[in-house]
Amino acid sequence: MTLQVTQLCKQINGRTIIEDISFQWAPGEIIGLVGRNGVGKTTLFRTMMNQYVADAGQVTVDGHDIVTTPAEQRRIFFLDVQYNFLDNYRLWELPEFYGDVYPQFDHQRYLTLLAQFKLDKNSQYRRLSKGMRALTNMILALTSNATYIILDEPFDGLDVIVRENIATMVIDEIADQEKGFLISSHDLNELDGLSDRVLLLKDTHLAHDYNLEDVRAKAKKLQLVFKDKQIPTVLKEHSQLIRVSGRVLVVVITDYTPAIDQQLKALQPVLFEELPLTLEDLFRANLAHDTGYQLMK
Amino acid sequence: MHNQLDRLIWRRHRRLFLVIGGVTLLGCFMSTILSLHTLPSSATQLVSGNIQKWDMYSESYFSGYPYWLLAAYWIVGLLLMNQDLKDNFNQFLFSSGFSRRRVYWSKIKVAMGALLVIAILTIALEYGMVWAMKPADVGFHLAWPGVLTSWIVGWLTSIGLFSLTWFAALIVGQTGALIVTIVGFTLSLVGSSTISVNILRESGITLNAEQNTWFMAGSWLVAASILFVWGAALYNHLSLEHNGEYLLFPKLKVPVYIVFVVYVTSLSVWGTDGWSLVFWFLASTIFGYCWLWRPRLGEMFHRWRSRRG
Repeated sequence: MTLQVTQLCKQINGRTIIEDISFQWAPGEIIGLVGRNGVGKTTLFRTMMNQYVADAGQVTVDGHDIVTTPAEQRRIFFLDVQYNFLDNYRLWELPEFYGDVYPQFDHQRYLTLLAQFKLDKNSQYRRLSKGMRALTNMILALTSNATYIILDEPFDGLDVIVRENIATMVIDEIADQEKGFLISSHDLNELDGLSDRVLLLKDTHLAHDYNLEDVRAKAKKLQLVFKDKQIPTVLKEHSQLIRVSGRVLVVVITDYTPAIDQQLKALQPVLFEELPLTLEDLFRANLAHDTGYQLMK
Repeated sequence: MHNQLDRLIWRRHRRLFLVIGGVTLLGCFMSTILSLHTLPSSATQLVSGNIQKWDMYSESYFSGYPYWLLAAYWIVGLLLMNQDLKDNFNQFLFSSGFSRRRVYWSKIKVAMGALLVIAILTIALEYGMVWAMKPADVGFHLAWPGVLTSWIVGWLTSIGLFSLTWFAALIVGQTGALIVTIVGFTLSLVGSSTISVNILRESGITLNAEQNTWFMAGSWLVAASILFVWGAALYNHLSLEHNGEYLLFPKLKVPVYIVFVVYVTSLSVWGTDGWSLVFWFLASTIFGYCWLWRPRLGEMFHRWRSRRG
């Protein structure tokens, strides 16, 4: 079971927004899609969902093109945060629409989750706060029971409690390996600890497709203090400097080998401490220069 | 799955159908009451002998096909397409797993079903009210030729009007501009129908009133069929990044411009002199360009002035 995006292209008003986008997505994966604001993340989703007619390329689910076999679209859930029809409806009315489209829609669970998150089912969607809307969107996504769930900036502008709720729901849902999530964000911290894989969109193209487990297995983040004020050559050659504070250096070494370990220990550092490696560190180390990715802090 | 799609469309638009149905029935009720109250005391027959002709029957105190229905079809065609665009329901429909072709025809099917119910109820209300509320000494004698012609021709005209607004709302993405465009075009049809009858007469084809009525009904049927089929082809290629633009299909800009200039010019200069032709051609060319391309004249002027300065 896979969803395959193949050489997808879209131009808007003569300007190329996405070009030659290809990737594969399987249930059980949480893929992060990162890129700067306006790079085309939402356009990619809208084109994948046939809301925008693709100029070239295709999206297939188990080998079936969703344009020629539209029924396969029911295995993908995408709720456009900016343009959706929900505003004029009350929360109890929404399952009527989604139930007609998603055959596995779980009405009972929808109502249970609304109650669990203290969302009044008689409220109109447009009267909800941003956080409540995000939760409602998430509840609709989960209860649709679609195999592939696309979440567009699900954490944007939310407080930490709502963010944690959403992240927990995603992690709980992935446990049985029957669903996959594709989550876009321009903030790397949001995806940290959530994604297994990160796609980086840059200049209309998919610049990188990273398996974070592989990257993390090889990389290390270290806090070091050396007797000498000079930065050792081994660090200059193999590490990315994350922070310098007095004589304290925080570095990320993306390919940490026993040889590097030996060389560093031979320098007899005053402090040698391994720090938890974040997604942001990885991107700073891997991509800050070669992709021009700017950290949104 | 067919039923699910029809149910989805019905769910989405049932409020619209109920409101339009309610207003149509209310309008028909009020106008029938008004007609009956203005009936002169000397009247002995509510329906004249013209009801025996194969022509649409519409006289002072009774019309075979309530005109409220024409308005109902016109408005439903407009709103059914425009609301889905404006309220972003198209996004949901296009991702719903139903093919666009099926969505398009399902919308027409559901609308036609709902409008037919409204039409039957409205006609029944009008005929029933007249029959029940007319003064006892006034006769109400109907005849099949006039009644059937009114129903068939009225219904075909209604479908024609529905197809016009439906098609316009499919290609125009701005609600205000859409209303101006379609109101203008609908009003212009009065003039263009007169002109087409004159053209027929000048080419040696003289139609009597009955033939003219059926000719118009046939024209509406042909126009509606073309617009529905053409609309289906366009709907299949509707890409929502053009939401909010005047034309949702940028490739239609030049053809629409040409049709606009030719239509407005020929409608305005019919039976007038050469100077009118020049005036209306220039006026429609300039207006059409500004309407479709929306040049920022102020910005262009400031740029020109700054270049000079």
